[in-house]
Amino acid sequence: MSFFKVNENCNGCLACVKNCPASALNYFDQKDSRKIMHNMSLCARCGHCWRICPQDAIEFKVLLAGKFDLVKTLDLVHCRVCGEPIYTASLGETVSNDIQNSIEPLCPDHKGSEPINVWKKLASKRTSQ
Amino acid sequence: MIVGEHKPIEEIIELVKDFSNILVVGCQTCVAVSLTGGDRAAISMTEALAHAFKEKTKLHLFESTMLERQCEKDWIKPFFDLPEGVDAILSLACGAGVQTMADIFKGIPVLPGLNTTFLGAQDQAGVFNEKCAGCGDCVLGLTGGVCPIARCAKKLFNGPCGGSTNGKCEISISMGHDVECAWHLIVERLKELDKLDNYEKISEIRNWIPGGAGGPRKLVHKGETPF
Repeated sequence: MSFFKVNENCNGCLACVKNCPASALNYFDQKDSRKIMHNMSLCARCGHCWRICPQDAIEFKVLLAGKFDLVKTLDLVHCRVCGEPIYTASLGETVSNDIQNSIEPLCPDHKGSEPINVWKKLASKRTSQ
Repeated sequence: MIVGEHKPIEEIIELVKDFSNILVVGCQTCVAVSLTGGDRAAISMTEALAHAFKEKTKLHLFESTMLERQCEKDWIKPFFDLPEGVDAILSLACGAGVQTMADIFKGIPVLPGLNTTFLGAQDQAGVFNEKCAGCGDCVLGLTGGVCPIARCAKKLFNGPCGGSTNGKCEISISMGHDVECAWHLIVERLKELDKLDNYEKISEIRNWIPGGAGGPRKLVHKGETPF
């Protein structure tokens, strides 16, 4: 999706293209149409285009508000005591390999507990189930 | 943001005149936003040099390029390919960027194309004003959001000095444009905030070590580990 929104006020004057300090705007004239392009990777988010547009055509707020895109989904490991998600299975595996030891899946609250207390909690959980 | 301005083209010509293979490198963050160091400025600078040296037959200007930030050392090598044969880099970054590039490309002169002018704000389109001196010990909470260091010509902590007229500093005449008296602004703001008692407090002698008087400053962030 594009975060750079241009509304119907745009008349293709190219003030934005000619003045973008990061060269993030460009245009192509093809046959009977002018296409204005925006490159989010180059954009410095300076808002200069919005500031100078004589038509108030650039809806910069859309770019600033944005939305999160899903970039990855990973399996989680939960705290053995309370069930809080703590880290991904993949991260646990990486760290286990690095330290050549297995990691106890415990959250920060339960990591510091005496091991015996942890086992007690586990045991009480099991009996209540 | 860090605000920069182009060095006069005559000075840049003098800096690069002895080199034959020059690459202009823009910086896409602060100085791009302050309209002097971004990709567009790098293209324009390359064109200006091509024009200035049009008689010089042995000059090769590479197509300009840019880095997202020239001031981040670990970014430069992975994200920047130095073309073969470059014998001078003209950097359009701030001083921090130029020095970082020089530190990476030790065998190649990295020359500044900009003068890094100040930490400023864009008060109107294309108009930048100095607002922060990076003093390391911010007093804006006491001064109604107006900096007496960056915005008072005498950097007074217990101003005003008596040299202002109608809210304008006496240096306005020599500067050729109106310079607002920072202490006039401070008093006006404190009035608006109903905090004029702040103005009655006498600022004590300041320790300028956080402001750089003790040598170059260093800040180390210690990250948190997940385990």
